[in-house]
Amino acid sequence: MKKLSLRRASAADIPTASTADIAFLLIIFFMLTTVFRTEIGLKLLLPEAESTERILKRRNVAHVWLDRSNRISINDDLLDIRGVSSVMAGKLSDNPDLIAIIRADQDSEYGKVNDILEALKDVGALKITFATEFER
Amino acid sequence: MRLKEKISSRPGIPTASMGDIAFLIIIFFMTTSIFSREKGLKTLLPEKGQEVKIKSENILTIQVNPQGEVLIGDQVISIPEVRPKVSEELAKNEELVIALRVARTAPYKTMIDVYDELKLAKADKISLTPVKKEEGGP
Repeated sequence: MKKLSLRRASAADIPTASTADIAFLLIIFFMLTTVFRTEIGLKLLLPEAESTERILKRRNVAHVWLDRSNRISINDDLLDIRGVSSVMAGKLSDNPDLIAIIRADQDSEYGKVNDILEALKDVGALKITFATEFER
Repeated sequence: MRLKEKISSRPGIPTASMGDIAFLIIIFFMTTSIFSREKGLKTLLPEKGQEVKIKSENILTIQVNPQGEVLIGDQVISIPEVRPKVSEELAKNEELVIALRVARTAPYKTMIDVYDELKLAKADKISLTPVKKEEGGP
């Protein structure tokens, strides 16, 4: 049997000089896209809808949470309807392009959602999104 | 006399661990970032006090009662029936405004299901009729 000769002439190695550059590029990407999670919210199950759309402008977003026992929370504070109006009025004066996202549990009562809508309409937060999941 | 060049200790910043540091920061940002999970049904509310009178023949009222049943007129229909019905009505009358009137105690899920059907039926004029506290709704 013929003996295979080892060819060591060109030692294979991966060029590592630019890994740092690649890494920094990725860092910059993540730094720009990151929005830190600021609130925990309430535990809930969102309803599903077929016409669900994605919202791209994430920095203009404010969440209103409503869980199945009809508690309302903004910024992890439990509030009543009057609280929703005052907190959202404050947020709206900081950012006039605010999009209010209503994250309501699928088993919550519509009456509460209706109250939130009225409160938002009162303070002029007219861009609303009902948070839903994609239909599975 | 010729001066001897001293190259033995040239100052330099060690760059070998730069990649490691960078990757550490990447991992930090990757784990803390949340990618666009924001999704939902977009709606634009009317301004306060901006009430438009609409001719009654241009309004199609859809009601959701506290039991979560959907009614058009007096007729109870199932949720998948909403879309063809609304499309049919829209084909007849382009200026049709759909008034969605949901009882206060009706489940939110039903309201979203109906709203979704309306969006899928390309109904862009949807009015969410506010239900006052005193009224129990329909």
